[in-house]
Amino acid sequence: MDLTETADEQAFRAEARAWLQANVPTEPLPSFDTEDGFARHREWEALLASGRWSAVSWPVEYGGRGADYLKWLIFEEEYWRSGAPGRVSQNGIFLLGPTIMEVGTTEQKARFLPSMASAQEVWAQAWSEPDAGSDMASIRSRGTLSNDGSEWVLNGQKIWASRAVWADWCFGIFRTDPDSSRHKGLTFILVPLDSRGVTVRPIAQLDGDTGFAEIFFDDVHVPVENTLGPVGGGWGVAMATAGFERGVSLRSPARFNVAVEKLIGLWGLIGDPDDDTMRDAVTDLWMRAEGYRLHTAMTVTKLLEGGTVGSESSLNKIFWSEMDVRTHELAMQLLGPDAERMDGPFESWVDGFLFSLSGPLYAGTNEIQRNIIADRVLNLPRA
Amino acid sequence: MQFSFSAEQLEFAAGLREMLEREFTAANLRAVWDAGTGHDQKLWGRLAEMGVLGMMVAEADGGLGGDFVDAVLLLEELGRAAVPGPVLETMSVGAIATAGTAWASGVADGSVPVTAALLGERHVPHAETAVVVLTVQERQVRAVEHTDLTISAVAGIDDGRRLSTIAGADGRGVVLDVDRERLADAGALAASAYLLGLSSRMLAIAGDYARDRRQFGQPIGAFQAVKHLMADALLQVEFARPAIYRAAWSFATDQPERARDVSMAKSLVSDAVQKAARSALQVHGAIGYTWECDLQLFMKKAWALIPAWGSATFHRRRVADAVLGPR
Repeated sequence: MDLTETADEQAFRAEARAWLQANVPTEPLPSFDTEDGFARHREWEALLASGRWSAVSWPVEYGGRGADYLKWLIFEEEYWRSGAPGRVSQNGIFLLGPTIMEVGTTEQKARFLPSMASAQEVWAQAWSEPDAGSDMASIRSRGTLSNDGSEWVLNGQKIWASRAVWADWCFGIFRTDPDSSRHKGLTFILVPLDSRGVTVRPIAQLDGDTGFAEIFFDDVHVPVENTLGPVGGGWGVAMATAGFERGVSLRSPARFNVAVEKLIGLWGLIGDPDDDTMRDAVTDLWMRAEGYRLHTAMTVTKLLEGGTVGSESSLNKIFWSEMDVRTHELAMQLLGPDAERMDGPFESWVDGFLFSLSGPLYAGTNEIQRNIIADRVLNLPRA
Repeated sequence: MQFSFSAEQLEFAAGLREMLEREFTAANLRAVWDAGTGHDQKLWGRLAEMGVLGMMVAEADGGLGGDFVDAVLLLEELGRAAVPGPVLETMSVGAIATAGTAWASGVADGSVPVTAALLGERHVPHAETAVVVLTVQERQVRAVEHTDLTISAVAGIDDGRRLSTIAGADGRGVVLDVDRERLADAGALAASAYLLGLSSRMLAIAGDYARDRRQFGQPIGAFQAVKHLMADALLQVEFARPAIYRAAWSFATDQPERARDVSMAKSLVSDAVQKAARSALQVHGAIGYTWECDLQLFMKKAWALIPAWGSATFHRRRVADAVLGPR
């Protein structure tokens, strides 16, 4: 055990910090869930990619730096500390990208990964359906092979597709065996959102922005080459993707450490120093964020030493999402009457509060995660 | 950076776990309770023989010369088995305080069990068993031999950790050249690691019961209310774990953040073990509220150690002083 950084890691940190200091926009960008904001975030991603910082853990040939997970954690720390914009490409880079690397063909890797890293193509995820939320295996959107077998013909409806309003592509699972049920007979398919027959209908979120959308598929034709992984094996491919999302990749610790540092700043600015309850609560959050950072560092070391991460990644998802809600609830409490204002100096806290509330819901609700933990980590009997 | 244990450290811990599963079951623990000794001399001998007691004693004194990173997994295993007697005290504060004294070899070979009261406690655990009692007098740590003390038993909640008041320590014994705060941190850290193992054991006991006990025609563990109760307890335990391992590293390498890191560990694990005990009891229902159910032996160890070596509140405030600045 050695928790100090190697000279190589320190050099990597310094390089990332210097690049970010020189390039991070001085003014915050508008929300990427607005048209202008999406375009500005895409430009930022392109700039990141030009410095090879958009996907540091990817192989060099696809636009990454081949950095190991520990360096990726270091990059994330520098990234969020620098005040850099949110990642509009995250569905692609952190979820789909690693899945393509694992199960994709050589052609798919060459076709999709570089344009993903550079944000020339931004990806949305299209998994949930109106009747397939927590019960995702009850998917009904279907894919049928064309007569000559060269294309999938897609029909159905997806919902809660984050980034779909302005994204270029989506990835989702479709029922390709009409006689199948539940987890079988599903196939993972990549779909251009400008295909004929695709209708994207934005949904206004709790915060008023249109971050997610419904996607309707009416006889949408896509080439069979857009199948990711085996036909009929889409569930397994999707679960690998969901594992990345719940696990280490989508919510790196740094953003929570930074959020808690900001909370400490807010407490210092407007908190009552004699309020021991608040002091304890802020300290408790600092410990949670620090605990999450350490937990991730332990997981990453395990991966680097050849270990695997399985269902215990569900623990992470509950932990970070509840910590994030708690951080923002405390900020609202500190703000007092200002917590009602949607403009002014504390706007980002109120926005952050609303956004934090999505955490326990998306990527599988926390109740679903508790079921997974109980069934697969604690080995309790299935219901 | 490398946040993991060496193969040797993991193997040693696995060996200790196997030995304890084989030779120190809940029935053995209950026998210690029934005997009223708060200590198991035979087990103590085995722990000395394996090198567990002397992990942090210098090799020249018959120990293994390890540091807290070497010891932390062992302490966790001792907690998983709820080993009675002054084991966490002897291994940690005992080994550190007696380094360079004539007692050191006795710590390693088991002939000098050590206990301590460094935080102004009105009672001392294991004083009847210990040969050396570490006390604080005029801000200095003093080692007093049990023969110099008048020891009077008082009732405690955990019969694997018998309590006493001591009298006659004043001016007796020898002043040790140790940093009192660092020594107390060693105790808090050892207790934290022990409580981590204890938490896992209680969740394992609850899991066994939830798989076995049937109501409404199915094992109770199939009900979501039970699943979520246990998942939440596991969550708290698993996020305390890296804080304890990190504190061991901070202690071993004498980091400037040692006090903060130890306090974070003790604060988190105290809350986690409280939750684990409470959840395990709830899963058991009425049977958990009986003397006969083995769960009580483990819960009572938790309730005894949660306030020991500084409560969660004490340690949270210490973290607050480090992170937010002193009041």
